[in-house]
Amino acid sequence: MTTTEQQGTPVQEARRPGIFKRFLDFTGAENLSLIIALVIMVALISTQTEFFFSARNLLNIGQNMAVVGLIAVGMTVVIVSAGLDISVGSIAGAASVVCALVVTHLGTVLGGVVFGMGIGIALGLVNATIIAILRVNPVVATLATFSAFRGIAFLIAPGGRPVGALDPTLALLGSGRILQIGDFPGIPIAFVILVFVAVSAHFVLSSTVFGRTLYSMGGNPQAARLAGINLTRMKYYVYAISGALAGLAGVIVTARTSSGQPASGTQGLELEAITAVFLGGALLAGGKGSIVGTMLAVLLLATLSNGMNLLGIPTFYQLVAKGLLLVLAVAIGQWRLARDERVQAKITAGGGTP
Amino acid sequence: MSMSSAILEVHAVGKSFPGVKALSNVSMQVHRGEVVAFVGENGAGKSTLLKILCGDYQLDEGSLFLDGTEVSHASPLDARNAGFRLVRQEPEIVPYISVAENVFVGEYPQLPGQRVDFAKMRAIVNGMLKDYGFEGMLDVRALGNTLSPAQMHIVEILRALKDGVKVIAFDEPTSSLTKREADRLFDLIRKLRTQGLGIIYVSHRLHEVMEIADRVVVLKDGVPTGDLKIAQTSQDDIIRLMVGRELAHGYKRTETSTDRVVLEVRNLTSRWHKDISFQIRAGEIVGFGGLVGAGRTELAKVIFGALALESGTIRICGEVKKIKSPADAIQANIGFAPEDRKAEGLILVRSVIENVSLAVYARLARFGILRNSAVVSMVSPLVKKLDIKTPSMDMVVGKLSGGNQQKVVLARWLAAKPQLLILDEPTRAVDVGAKAEIYKLMDELAADGMAIMMISSEMPELLSMSDRIIVMRDGEISSPIEKKDATEEVLLNFALGKNAA
Repeated sequence: MTTTEQQGTPVQEARRPGIFKRFLDFTGAENLSLIIALVIMVALISTQTEFFFSARNLLNIGQNMAVVGLIAVGMTVVIVSAGLDISVGSIAGAASVVCALVVTHLGTVLGGVVFGMGIGIALGLVNATIIAILRVNPVVATLATFSAFRGIAFLIAPGGRPVGALDPTLALLGSGRILQIGDFPGIPIAFVILVFVAVSAHFVLSSTVFGRTLYSMGGNPQAARLAGINLTRMKYYVYAISGALAGLAGVIVTARTSSGQPASGTQGLELEAITAVFLGGALLAGGKGSIVGTMLAVLLLATLSNGMNLLGIPTFYQLVAKGLLLVLAVAIGQWRLARDERVQAKITAGGGTP
Repeated sequence: MSMSSAILEVHAVGKSFPGVKALSNVSMQVHRGEVVAFVGENGAGKSTLLKILCGDYQLDEGSLFLDGTEVSHASPLDARNAGFRLVRQEPEIVPYISVAENVFVGEYPQLPGQRVDFAKMRAIVNGMLKDYGFEGMLDVRALGNTLSPAQMHIVEILRALKDGVKVIAFDEPTSSLTKREADRLFDLIRKLRTQGLGIIYVSHRLHEVMEIADRVVVLKDGVPTGDLKIAQTSQDDIIRLMVGRELAHGYKRTETSTDRVVLEVRNLTSRWHKDISFQIRAGEIVGFGGLVGAGRTELAKVIFGALALESGTIRICGEVKKIKSPADAIQANIGFAPEDRKAEGLILVRSVIENVSLAVYARLARFGILRNSAVVSMVSPLVKKLDIKTPSMDMVVGKLSGGNQQKVVLARWLAAKPQLLILDEPTRAVDVGAKAEIYKLMDELAADGMAIMMISSEMPELLSMSDRIIVMRDGEISSPIEKKDATEEVLLNFALGKNAA
């Protein structure tokens, strides 16, 4: 038999990449379709309404992205690790209430933020314990805590009602803007927080030992364990991060509505975040996904609802459109995967492995 | 072409896989009322032949005749309809349905209105249990998940015998049975023989073959080397026919053993092992032979902390190591390249560079941040040294060929620089060229003072690459055989436990 090896070339010396290549490297080839979709959508919407390109509207989009964006960053970490966290919306609800209670009773905004994120981390650790120690499947585990944490949010809110938290400093986090110069309406602080978190997360996932280990563990947990990775410890980190970011999202909900909301404003966030992560190119099986892709998808979804709102299209159509978009994105992903498998099968057949 | 009394005739059958000729020119016959045994080493082609007979694989050359008519066996269903049945070594039992349903799965007897006729099903199965001498061994209402291995085997046999059977094949039927259960099985086989069925009996246990078979067909490297009447042969004759192969891609190893003991295992006991003790010295390659299922892979995993150790000690360079996880093992300077590299070795969806550097991230980082230059300057020379053929280090490992994938796993452990490297079937599903390169690499690593524990089911590999060979059987080990004393015959005797019952 022949021993044809795949593409007989040895490792090539690194060439200096062009600007387009470098842009592609950063966004990833998979994300190109997201960018194209975004461009087409923006083009379509802007021909229909002039208001779309106004600075105020663009910043609105940015503001609206913040809450779901923060949760989507955490969800990316979870999904790359081959897990899932359905409880994030409920964690955000609990964090929103805790933040409002701390701000009204202790009068400290910083305390509100710290305690809001703290309860998020605590609930995330509960998720991790159920998943890593009790060995419950992540979907089932967080489906259970999805319900339980929402209940906790109502229980800690006195009378189960929203907790008013009128604090001007806190309100800045929700609707404040920086760089308000002249006509420029300024950049929403919540959006700045999202950008900071997303950039940090991108750095962590691409350049740290934790991030790279995360991809290995998600890609093949068994192989990762045999390469010396402590899966239990990793899961604790993963769900703590997801909880912390959900907590931060809850704090921003409190800041924006000036009240701790056990339910309103945080319901359905998990589904939107999961949609964004898959739209951004992650695999449910784990090991694949990026912050850049997720953020592009969050932007795409926010632009879609904003544009449809501006055009006066009823919410029902928006829901259907989001669903279609997700199916399309995942179907394209599956098609890519099947194509890769065919390539692999061909190599195996030619490469001399029975 | 087919003789009237032959119920199964295999004529000049050949089967190739890319890079391997699994069977060539195999001809044999099974007559009515005859028990024919297939024997051969791991990989001699027994399973391939069985899989062709039961329709899992399609033959490339030759033809099959069942009861005088040529059959094509395009699918397992065709084989079943033609009258061929295989009793698998590990039966597929559906867990939460009854024994009776398990026997009839897929073809339930029906009452009008698409209702399943449970009463009829149970009556038939009870009747069969009585007819075949399994009465009282199995409750037809018991659920699949409550069955013992022996009971599962009975269900599998009942499935095979249900209707229209002409030839029945048993694949290692006694591996999960006690002596008494095995005796019952032999009674059943004798009964089936008197009913005029053709019976194929595949087993490593030669004393059983001598007891139950009328004829034995010996396979070696996919070629039949003997077709003998049991009455006119002996176990020694059979073993002689199973071995004696040329060291085709034999690799001459350089002698590099030293006196420094790297691994010392003392009285290791676990769920799979009883009281195992051995040593591996620096610069030495110790081969682990034995049959599939003898506990070799499990031994590697216990030493590597992936499976639980019950008692006993593991010393690395004289120091007792408490190894509770693979991470501990890596800390203790042990590396492990698993047998199933796709399931356990590689992250297929990630790149070459990630797969190679994975186990040593901590060494390549400062304050938890990976130094990209350090990663590249570590991986790049390894890719060159092992000649991993990939367009770039960012290539997804899943897209590489088997040989290159194996080299990626090896590169990971070269990067980790362990003192003890455990290789489980290092050249499985690897083409000939890559195989030679892997042998050369192992030789070099040993020369550099690494201790290597090599598990292999390939006799030529064991004989040419090992300095000493330890044979395992049923979770226990033989005393090490020095290279000069090792022959295939000696190893097979240990592996089969010829002299034990």
